[in-house]
Amino acid sequence: MHIPDGFLSPLVALSLYVVSLTVVAYSGRRYFREGGDVHYLSVMAAGIFAAQMLNWPIPGGTSAHLVGGALAGILLGPFGGCLAMFMSLLVQCVLMGDGGITALGANAFNMAIVDVFAGYAIYRGVMRLTGRRFLAGFLAGWLAVAVAAVTCGVELGLSPQFGYPLGITVPVMGAWHLALGLVEGLATGLIVDHVRWAG
Amino acid sequence: MKMGMRVYWLILALVLVSPLFGVVGAGIVGYHEPLDLVAGMIGLGGGNQVWRGLLPDYTFPGVPDVVGYALSGLIGVAVLLIPSILRGRRK
Repeated sequence: MHIPDGFLSPLVALSLYVVSLTVVAYSGRRYFREGGDVHYLSVMAAGIFAAQMLNWPIPGGTSAHLVGGALAGILLGPFGGCLAMFMSLLVQCVLMGDGGITALGANAFNMAIVDVFAGYAIYRGVMRLTGRRFLAGFLAGWLAVAVAAVTCGVELGLSPQFGYPLGITVPVMGAWHLALGLVEGLATGLIVDHVRWAG
Repeated sequence: MKMGMRVYWLILALVLVSPLFGVVGAGIVGYHEPLDLVAGMIGLGGGNQVWRGLLPDYTFPGVPDVVGYALSGLIGVAVLLIPSILRGRRK
């Protein structure tokens, strides 16, 4: 889901830079004001970074990896999760050139904001209804990554240089990640069910 | 709340096995990131890349790709753990 340079129109890229940096800065303030711990933040960011290095093959010559936004949001809360995901994306972009530097705002919007906050909301909602951690984590990981992919599809579809209209980018990205997201959901559910070190 | 050392070992293990997925498997099966494939299809190649990174595509100068992938992963993890290390020292 890491958008490279050259895919987004300057307007889309710039707008999402402004939105993402604002939300990440606000999340950082809220996380630390509410007593958030630097250790958990660092370890979560490093864990997400390491997990995203595990690309597994998908038939057809392509690959997928865990995104981890919902997991970060559930374990650290949405503000800490947002900050941890952004830290990981920033290191990937600056050190490894993974995700375009002009698309960092969009990548942060999709993976550090939409995936995290949607995942957290889904988790809380399902927990309130069922009280089952695995189920809540599974649905959060699965559905939030699909929502983030749809957002990514909207951004690509709104960018003329990408060459495909919204009518193609949104269903393709959404359907693809709805299928791939089952693995994300399974991993999120299993981890959330076993890790109890944050709220 | 106390975080055990297990989580650090887990992260280290993830990075050390990652070349099996990111380099060896990719070489054998021939897979790429989905959006990289799309870039090739629509002619948006690496020429559009504004910033290639200090360790481009998880490589490290002068070492084989498998080692470079793990090494760049270790560097990334170390950078992300800096805030935690600094905070620990201040306590």
